[in-house]
Amino acid sequence: MTVVIMKDLPEASVFNALSEKRLALKLGPFATRLNIGDELTQRFILDMYQEAQVEIGNELLCDFSMTVRPPNLYRRFFRKQIVPDPGFNFPAVPLPSALSPLALEMGLNLNVALQCFRFAIFHAGVVAKGSEALIISAKSGGGKSTLTAALMEDGFRLLSDEFAILDIQDATLKAYPRPVSLKNQAIDVVKAFAGSENVSATFTDTPKGNIAYRRIRASDVAAAGQPASASIILFPEFVEGAAPQITQIDLADAAMQLIASSPNYQVIGEPAFTALMVMLDGVQAFEIKYGNTEDSLEIVHDLLHREPS
Amino acid sequence: MKQEIQEFLAFAVGDLPLPANTETLSGFIAWAQREHIMGQVAAVIDAEPGSKLSDICENAKLRSSYDRRMLTYETDRIKRALLGTGVEPILLKGSAYVAEHLFAGVGRRVSDIDILVEESDLEQVEALLKEAGWQPEATTENEYDQRYYRRWMHELPPLRHAVRRTIIDIHHRLLPRTSRLNPDHLEMIKEARAIEGEALRVLSPTDRFIHSAIHVFGDGAMETPARSFLELYYLYKDLSKAEGQALYARAIEVRSDGPVAAALWVLRQYFGLDIADEGQGLPSLRLRFLIRQLAENRRYRRLAEILLYIRSHYMRMPVRQLARHLWHKAIRRA
Repeated sequence: MTVVIMKDLPEASVFNALSEKRLALKLGPFATRLNIGDELTQRFILDMYQEAQVEIGNELLCDFSMTVRPPNLYRRFFRKQIVPDPGFNFPAVPLPSALSPLALEMGLNLNVALQCFRFAIFHAGVVAKGSEALIISAKSGGGKSTLTAALMEDGFRLLSDEFAILDIQDATLKAYPRPVSLKNQAIDVVKAFAGSENVSATFTDTPKGNIAYRRIRASDVAAAGQPASASIILFPEFVEGAAPQITQIDLADAAMQLIASSPNYQVIGEPAFTALMVMLDGVQAFEIKYGNTEDSLEIVHDLLHREPS
Repeated sequence: MKQEIQEFLAFAVGDLPLPANTETLSGFIAWAQREHIMGQVAAVIDAEPGSKLSDICENAKLRSSYDRRMLTYETDRIKRALLGTGVEPILLKGSAYVAEHLFAGVGRRVSDIDILVEESDLEQVEALLKEAGWQPEATTENEYDQRYYRRWMHELPPLRHAVRRTIIDIHHRLLPRTSRLNPDHLEMIKEARAIEGEALRVLSPTDRFIHSAIHVFGDGAMETPARSFLELYYLYKDLSKAEGQALYARAIEVRSDGPVAAALWVLRQYFGLDIADEGQGLPSLRLRFLIRQLAENRRYRRLAEILLYIRSHYMRMPVRQLARHLWHKAIRRA
């Protein structure tokens, strides 16, 4: 069996393959074997990942495996719950079965955060124009995902809304363009400029409020094989009603903040340090403050056209 | 199924070249990942550069080289914390394999550091390690667990380093005081030897194998059978011919013949090692059934897991005490 785009397959064969552990998702640098019996999650995958490459069968070598299952026999039938099982003991909080797609997305994030060591991982959104990448470092409530999703509609390609994946061999950034996770007010903001047909149903009462996902795009999947080099690093802060503000920061500070957000920097050790230093060479880093999405986009435009200082 | 696991283990230790069949290869790699032995596999196979296999191996090597660095560094810190006391702790398991550069330690995943000290040194060792930054681990810091560990267990409640987050288990015996199996740790300590140039000791090669067997079959370390089997395999291969012949007699001497018989059966059964019967015979039918279900991923695997879980508790303490203990745990959780 060869690798195909999922939407070119009959639905039934995707459903069967997901339940039988015979579907491997091949996206960016990672291949993940999925084992998913839960119907809601299966539908979510069929919809949100329709543009992704998959292989049906048992031949593809995979980096990770991801099972979404009830935490125990009791929870399979009563007050149904679901947990992600990334193939190692992880104390994931069980979710009610109505939120099962979140367990999948959480699990796929765990795979990258805790099982990937050949790339240095930083918690950040990454978009690129041509080969120039913009890293949007996460601070809770900073609006990383909203800004990432907004830039996707603004001519940028998505590398990832969750991880900056730094190749420790050549210091380039890899693309892993999974669905963009949107929280609370960001859902309507993104629906407005991406079209509500591109956004999943909203999951309510999650541990993080309301959550919806923006479907992956064919163009991002097609370009995923092309690495990009960092050119700007942003540390955004969303403050209701604030006037736009840009402050350039020292690269050493940027490095320290990125390192603090990395789940595997310490494990990789010296190669991660070297790659990060090479990546930062020639990069500019800014803290930005903004009160609405339009302002944040304008700031990015300004910075991109600014002469290097 | 037995055949498949034999074949997988042979790939894993490099006895068989990797299969050309892509489905078998992908099944093998998924198995190795699940069993947490990818680092050990990566250490013995040759993957074509630029291939997915080489990516997966590279990933596993980066991870296991961290584990090795961590063990070496932490071992050094322990030595330093005990400097001048005359206490020479015995390194157990992974930290010993790494310190002695054994094949069993290459690529092995580890999560914590195990040391064994004489019971009379326990208080001093604990105090000095605490001074050096290790603190009671949050999950067992409560009074019940602290008391329980100190009164009944073979080790102190785990200590976690405040900055580096590494965990040390300080043992004074090899199994809980209440355990049905009562290996003669004092006799094993007597045979322990110094690591050259270090204030650290390790068990003799024979006792090292015996301890590994005790851990797997007497203490229920069967969550990832392949990882346990590889360890036994490499430790056994490191015995000289004479040591191999004297192994079972030594096992009887240190009251660990049961686990050692099971370990030798596994090595014959799954690695096809030619091991003469020195009187060990076969492990019980029940234990063989459980091991087969688990290792070969057979139909009753789930049942076997549950039975082994119960067995591991049954082995650890008398039933009345177990009931009391579980009662306490249940109430506390509720």
